[in-house]
Amino acid sequence: MTKLRFSRKQLCIPYALFLILFVVFPMLMILFYAFTGEGADGGLTFTFANFADFFTSRAKLSTLLMSITIAIISTAICLIIAYPLAYILARSNLKRKNVLLMIFIMPMWINFVLRITALRELLDLVGLLGTENYLNTIIGMVYDFLPFMLLPLYTTLEKLDKSYLEAAADLGGNKFTVFTRVTFPLSMPGVISGITMVFMPSMTNYVVSDTLSNFNITILGKLIDEYFTTYDNWHMGSMISIILLVIIFLTLLATGGFKEDKSNARGANLW
Amino acid sequence: MKRFLRTISCAAAAAVLFVFALSAAGCASSGGKTVLRVYNWEDYISQPDGSSDEYVDLIAKFEEENPGVTVEYSTFGTNENMYNELKINAAGYDLVCPSDYMIMKMIDEDMVEPFTDDFLANSNYAKYASPYIKDLFEQNEWTRYAAAYMWGTMGYVYNPELVSAEDLSSWAGIWSGKYDHMSTIKDSVRDSYFLGVAYVYREELAALAKEYGAGNMTLSDEKYAEYNEKVTAIMNRTDEDTLEKVKSALLDLKQYLYGFEVDSGKQDMITGKISINFAWSGDAVFAMDDAEPYTDENGREIPGIYLNYIVPGECSNIWFDGWVMPKGANVELAQKFIDFLSRPENAVANMNFIGYTSAVAGDEVYEEMIDWYDESAEGTPGFDEDGNALVPYDLNYFFGGTGNYDDYVIYVSEDSLNRQISAQYPTEQVIVRSAVMQHFDNETTAAVNEMWEEVKGLPIPVWAYIVIAVIIALILVAALSYIYKGKRREPKPKKGYRIQKKGA
Repeated sequence: MTKLRFSRKQLCIPYALFLILFVVFPMLMILFYAFTGEGADGGLTFTFANFADFFTSRAKLSTLLMSITIAIISTAICLIIAYPLAYILARSNLKRKNVLLMIFIMPMWINFVLRITALRELLDLVGLLGTENYLNTIIGMVYDFLPFMLLPLYTTLEKLDKSYLEAAADLGGNKFTVFTRVTFPLSMPGVISGITMVFMPSMTNYVVSDTLSNFNITILGKLIDEYFTTYDNWHMGSMISIILLVIIFLTLLATGGFKEDKSNARGANLW
Repeated sequence: MKRFLRTISCAAAAAVLFVFALSAAGCASSGGKTVLRVYNWEDYISQPDGSSDEYVDLIAKFEEENPGVTVEYSTFGTNENMYNELKINAAGYDLVCPSDYMIMKMIDEDMVEPFTDDFLANSNYAKYASPYIKDLFEQNEWTRYAAAYMWGTMGYVYNPELVSAEDLSSWAGIWSGKYDHMSTIKDSVRDSYFLGVAYVYREELAALAKEYGAGNMTLSDEKYAEYNEKVTAIMNRTDEDTLEKVKSALLDLKQYLYGFEVDSGKQDMITGKISINFAWSGDAVFAMDDAEPYTDENGREIPGIYLNYIVPGECSNIWFDGWVMPKGANVELAQKFIDFLSRPENAVANMNFIGYTSAVAGDEVYEEMIDWYDESAEGTPGFDEDGNALVPYDLNYFFGGTGNYDDYVIYVSEDSLNRQISAQYPTEQVIVRSAVMQHFDNETTAAVNEMWEEVKGLPIPVWAYIVIAVIIALILVAALSYIYKGKRREPKPKKGYRIQKKGA
């Protein structure tokens, strides 16, 4: 009986299969649908019409603008809440700070739809539901994605080499200077990782906007869904997906997410 | 390269094997038995509900009555999903249950098998389907291809303690600050478009009703067909002018709305989040049932509210879902299933479970309705226990000729007139002014969808522009300072020297 032996390359096969079936193939499908349309005879023809339609439609551009606005505000609020929290947690000498961290992460263990439905009732109790649609949506997004901001920030700040801070202090920097000149710049990988983790889903997670704004707010994810299910136009749906993809790509580019920085290896890219 | 190719072929072989294994498993389960593949809406057939045996398992019952037949039952959420699935997997189903306009579309596109003459003449459906429904199908020439399953109207469910019925006697009732953030409409293009059209042409419709005396008209009236045709024509207008008017009407309405919904409306009515809900009659029954005060098994009084249902005076939408057989279906077996579902006892089971109104009449259904709604004291039909006269609720238009009764009338109290029964079985006067929504061609559908997209996506609040402007300004400032800093920091080499690059 011969021993089963796998070379490294063979071990890649499951992943390669996965990649082809669930990443490459769907991407090609989306590309195909985005740049085709139904011709006069009912057959498919190559066209840029979907692209042109998107950027000439008032409704779609408003939706795009609104999604970006909601995503930016949610991300900013997440950052403002999560950074001090992560900083305090990372710097504290608490013995069981992991437990503390767990408490903030714990909501993620509960089913997402359930949490949002509960939040809806809560907002109704406070009297916001039905009137403050935008506020509710942003509250929902922040509530939902805060852990995604918190974790990478915490990991970077935790792994931060304390000797840098000591050196900065030794050289005469006060606490504020040490923070602005050393700690914050060094935690940038975590900040960027957190921003991308929150910004992207905030533009598309329409369960939140639908439930908490009573379907009053349309965001890009919802629009894509509408095109695939109710409007029955896969071409436009695919085109919107591509546009979203480009936006996310640009955000990554702008925030330097693609930079092969050694500091990224410090566990910031937890996700 | 060779290695790479080998890896790829390995992967391909694995994929092929995987697919084979799957299809083999698929075959095994259906080997030796005849399979009926039914594709229906979610929760749209009587099924056992956990431990209680309150509901009949109709699928199991059918399989029991027809040894050797297995029912493969799957469900869909929207007509469009169903349609897409049929386009991809054309031969995958024997029986599907789309809504009115989708049935028309499928008939138009020659996607469905006709019923056999034998079925049309002798089945339970032929025997027990309501004469009103059959006439409706006959007029529209659907009889050959579709068998009605459930049907109903659209109207407003409202809380009479907070909302006056008079305001809702017109569709325009919710277009006012009086009910600010108290009402919801459907997050569904077709239904909300209907509402918009009814609002835009409310005066024309009211004038038409007055002209024909629609208030007292019955289905046997000679002017009925003419009147209903005119209402249907108005309600199916899709010209540019109408679209523009409907769009601004709905955008106008949006500022007074609590929101849109497709599913949560019932629950929000019950919990009191909203007081008016533009609803399908079946959902209206559900909401009214659940909101009512009742006594639980321990004898405790559970408080609640009695909700009402009203179909505004101008017109309504009569909708239905029906069975059709896609091309290539097992016609014989599919017809057998419709025949089975059209047996009044099974229709009762379905109505019990789904809460919607079956298109099937017959004495068993009627008797169940008496059980549910008739408030007469025993032995004295038409009078309650205190001897007070009740109001007769005439259902002859629906049940007439499908059973042995001479007169199908249910006696209810004045208070109950606007409750469940009015949603379960609309009065003849409501039916007279109800229009079926036609199927729009592709171009019209696209135009209506675009209108809806604008209603949903607009307007943008002013602060959003401000936020965007601030962010753009910040990005510009950051970019400029980066460029400026970068320039300043670049060390200038002395004349004759060159800065050597790192790692060079």
